[in-house]
This record gives sequence, structure tokens and C-alpha cells, in this order.
Amino acid sequence: MKVNIHLNKRVAVIGAGLTPFRRRLLETPQEIAWEAASKALDEAGLELKDIDCVVIGSAPDAFDGVNLKGEYLSHGSGGIRKPVSRVYVGGATGVMTAIAGWYHVASGLCQKVLAVAEEKMSPDRPHPQAIFRYIWDPILEKPLNPNLIWIFAMEMHRYMATYGIKKEEIALVSVKNKRNAVNNPYAQLGSNITVEDVLKSEVLVWPVQLLDVSPVSDGGAAIVLASEDVARRYTDTPVWVEGVGWTLDNTEWPARDLSYARYVEFAARMAYKMAGIERPNKEIDVAEPYDPFDYKELHHLEALQLAKRGEAPKLLKEGVFDIDGDIPSSPSGGLLGVGNPIAAAGLMKVISIYWQLKGTAGKMQVKRPVHTGVAQAWGDLMQAGTVIVLRN
Amino acid sequence: MSWEKSGKEGSLLRWYDVMEAEKYEYTVGPAGEQFFNGLKQGKIVGSKCSKCGRIFVPARSYCEHCFVKIENYVEVNKDEAYVDSYTIIYNDDEGNKLAQPVFVALIRFLNVEGGLLCYAEGNVKVGAKAKITSFQWPLRVKVD
Ligand SMILES: [Zn+2]
Repeated sequence: MKVNIHLNKRVAVIGAGLTPFRRRLLETPQEIAWEAASKALDEAGLELKDIDCVVIGSAPDAFDGVNLKGEYLSHGSGGIRKPVSRVYVGGATGVMTAIAGWYHVASGLCQKVLAVAEEKMSPDRPHPQAIFRYIWDPILEKPLNPNLIWIFAMEMHRYMATYGIKKEEIALVSVKNKRNAVNNPYAQLGSNITVEDVLKSEVLVWPVQLLDVSPVSDGGAAIVLASEDVARRYTDTPVWVEGVGWTLDNTEWPARDLSYARYVEFAARMAYKMAGIERPNKEIDVAEPYDPFDYKELHHLEALQLAKRGEAPKLLKEGVFDIDGDIPSSPSGGLLGVGNPIAAAGLMKVISIYWQLKGTAGKMQVKRPVHTGVAQAWGDLMQAGTVIVLRN
Repeated sequence: MSWEKSGKEGSLLRWYDVMEAEKYEYTVGPAGEQFFNGLKQGKIVGSKCSKCGRIFVPARSYCEHCFVKIENYVEVNKDEAYVDSYTIIYNDDEGNKLAQPVFVALIRFLNVEGGLLCYAEGNVKVGAKAKITSFQWPLRVKVD
């Protein structure tokens, strides 16, 4: 794979904001976006008038039940009377929002960018899953009336079959992430559960059980990105965006190898190359891989080159990905613990790494000193990979 | 999904489906609750930015200009409602002629940002004073 990208400016994250992730937040989507955006500006020490342009990330309009959600959200995102763009690559949107903010600055076009992601999944009835009725091939797949969990179930099963992985080993992800989320004030579902609890939870679509899945959630997330000269004026602890990568694999998901997330590997290789990282498993200090399902975190840790193919479960069991392990993974609690308002959840992962590298992650702060972190999201028709590498 | 009446529908290989979500349950938000609770008492409730002093109707929880939270709710003077623009609707959504044309007006209030879409009756004119006759949503106004 060859990527020709030319950078003009070095880019830093200088502020971030999150709303609590909850089921049925009272606030409107615009108000959720505003809360995250205004907190990010506060942390950056900037006012809205200082911002050159706004990037908005949201997954399907249909979640919030508002068409053209980018326009709708721009009011609460600080985008009025400014250049605004919206990005949408399904579940990969949250990290793509940060990447889109980054390239506005890296290109030299803007100096200060506000990137906001919002999702309100709770208005939809009977269940937000209904929204995904739209994503299938209308002729080849739709007649079976699939839902997303089916597909994940098939991916999970293939992953287990390829490498001989047991459900007990996968359940440890859910246990770890929900445990980490106990320390996250924004989290919806922090709790101390056991592998037993996961294995005894309701079977939704075999082998996916209730505690293998992240919850439906509402929430907002925002960051402020700035060019190097600006960043140094506003903070003594800028966190640099050292590498970004995004890839689209074959949209025909039945044609892909379900046991391996190649779309994430390509995005990761692009980001690592930009960041000058040659041995990710030695150089990455903390990771936030996308975990809407527990097996997905393992899938993604492997595609991020933080574990060999099929070996993430073994490293997990050894404690490598624990908060005090060699490569803490999802110290925020991830989507399994924090919640999954899709676009906001992806940007939350970037924010988690940013706070870790800034040293302001509070009770979530990993024990060892950290200098380089990676956040990742994945989505669209399950073939978009987005990766961002940050360094302090 | 719609089909042209003169299309080749009958001659195409096709699959039919219905994909929409069944319904949505929206929240009005904390500021929206202030506004709608105000209507129940016959009041128009706006919110006032403590930084720039602008008043927004309907009430909202942040100022888009200053980007700060608004917690100050104020009752707007109903007597200052005026018609900013209006339109007359002759056909329904399906294209059927209405028995009576319907007037819809955008009303605003003096020195207030925002506006409300209402059913209107009377001598509806741009700039005319409007009196709110029903606080049921959507509002109704009468213009003399
Ligand atoms: Zn103001």
C-alpha cells in the first residue's frame, strides 16, 4: 500500500469535552453537541470566535430522527457563520471527525478547528437497530432481514474458528472494559462483572450474548485542534497528532476474510508510517481500539499490530491489555463500558488517549508513563477503518 | 419510495420492501420544557443570554453567539408579536384542493431572536401585529 500525503503544518489537540454517555439524555442533539463543544473550547482556553472552522461527525441521520444532521447540529456545534463540514463513515466516524479536523489544520487552511461528534440513539422506536435495515444489499442480503448483530455473530464465530478461541477468552474484554469504566465519570455501564456473568447473559444471536455488546446510548464529544505555533501559545502540554490513517476495504462484506480486520491494518499502517512507528507493539504505550463488541477489541488489537493474528486473547489473559499492563487497552472503558453513541463514541476514544497523554485522565490514568497512544474506529458497512496516533 | 406513474414498474425485476423506523420519541430539552410549560400558562417563554443580552424564542439552553449556557428564562411580551412573513396554502400534501385556504405565519417579537410558525387568521399582512388566540401547539394567531 502506498499513500501520498503531504503535510504543511504540525497539528496538536489542545482541548476536549465530553457529555455523560447515557440512555435517553433529556437534552436535544443540538444541546448535547453544544455541551461537548463548549467544554472543549473551555479546556483549550479559546472562545468560539477564535475558531476558524468546524467539523461535525455523526452516524446515520436516522438515529436522531433529523435529516441532514450536520446542518441541524451546526447550531450547537458552533458552526453558524463558519465553514462547516460533516463527515460520516458509520462507526468509523468518530475518529474520522478528528482526522478531518486534523487535515484542515495540517493542510495550512485553518489554524484552529473545532471537531464535534454527536449521536442520540434513543429517540428511535422500536430500537435503533431498525435504522440498520437500510444498509444491506437490497437483493442479496435484505430478503433474510438481517440485523447488524447477525453479521458480528458471524465475524465472531469465524474469528473463534480460525484461531481456536473460546468465548471465555473473549468475555474477558467485556470484564476488563466495564471494570475500567467504573473509573470513568462519563460512563454509562461501568461495573465489576465476571466471565461467568457474560457467559450466562441472554443469547442474542449466537455466539453474541447480551454482555458481549455495548449499550444503546446518547452522547457528545468534541476536540479543539490547532497548528503548532497556536498550540504553543495556548498550552504547555500540547498533544501532537503524529499520524492518521483511514481506509475503505471491499464494501461487499461476504467477500472479506471475517477473521481479520484488514481495513484497520491498512489505516494503522498509514498512521504508523506517518508517525515513524516501526514496531507498534513496542512503541505504543496505550490504545483505544473500537469495541462495540468484545471480540472486536481483540480483532482490532491484532489489526493495529499490537498482537499477532489470533494472539490477542492470549495477551489479554496475561494482563498485557490491563490498565497496569504493557499496552493498556480501552482504559476509558471503551464502548462496552462507556456506551456507544456511535460517532461520539469514536471521538471519545481519541479524547481518552489525549487525556492519557496529557496526564489528566484522573482515575482512568494508566499506571506507567505514556508517550504514544493510538485510537481507532471502524464502521460504514463494516469496512471503514480510521486510526489516529497521538504523542506528547 | 415513489414510482413515476408512467414508468416501467411492471416490466422490471424487483423486490419491494419497507425500511423505515416505526417512530421516534423526541425530547424537547430542558429549555424546550420551559418554553412548552410556559405555553400551558399562556406565556411565551424565552431565554436571555447573560453575556450578550440577546433573548431567544423559543427558549434555548445556550447562546449560539457567545456559546455560553443560558439559565435565565424570561417572559416575552406577547403584545409585541408581529407577522414577519406568511403564506397561503391551497392544496394539501397529496395535492388535493383544500376547501378553505390555510394561512401560516412566521411571527416574531420585538428585540427577540427567533420566530414561531403559527396558523393565522384575519387580515394577515407582513409587519402587522398578531394576537395569539390559542396556546395549543401549533399556536394560532389573529391579525386585525
Ligand atoms: Zn450571548
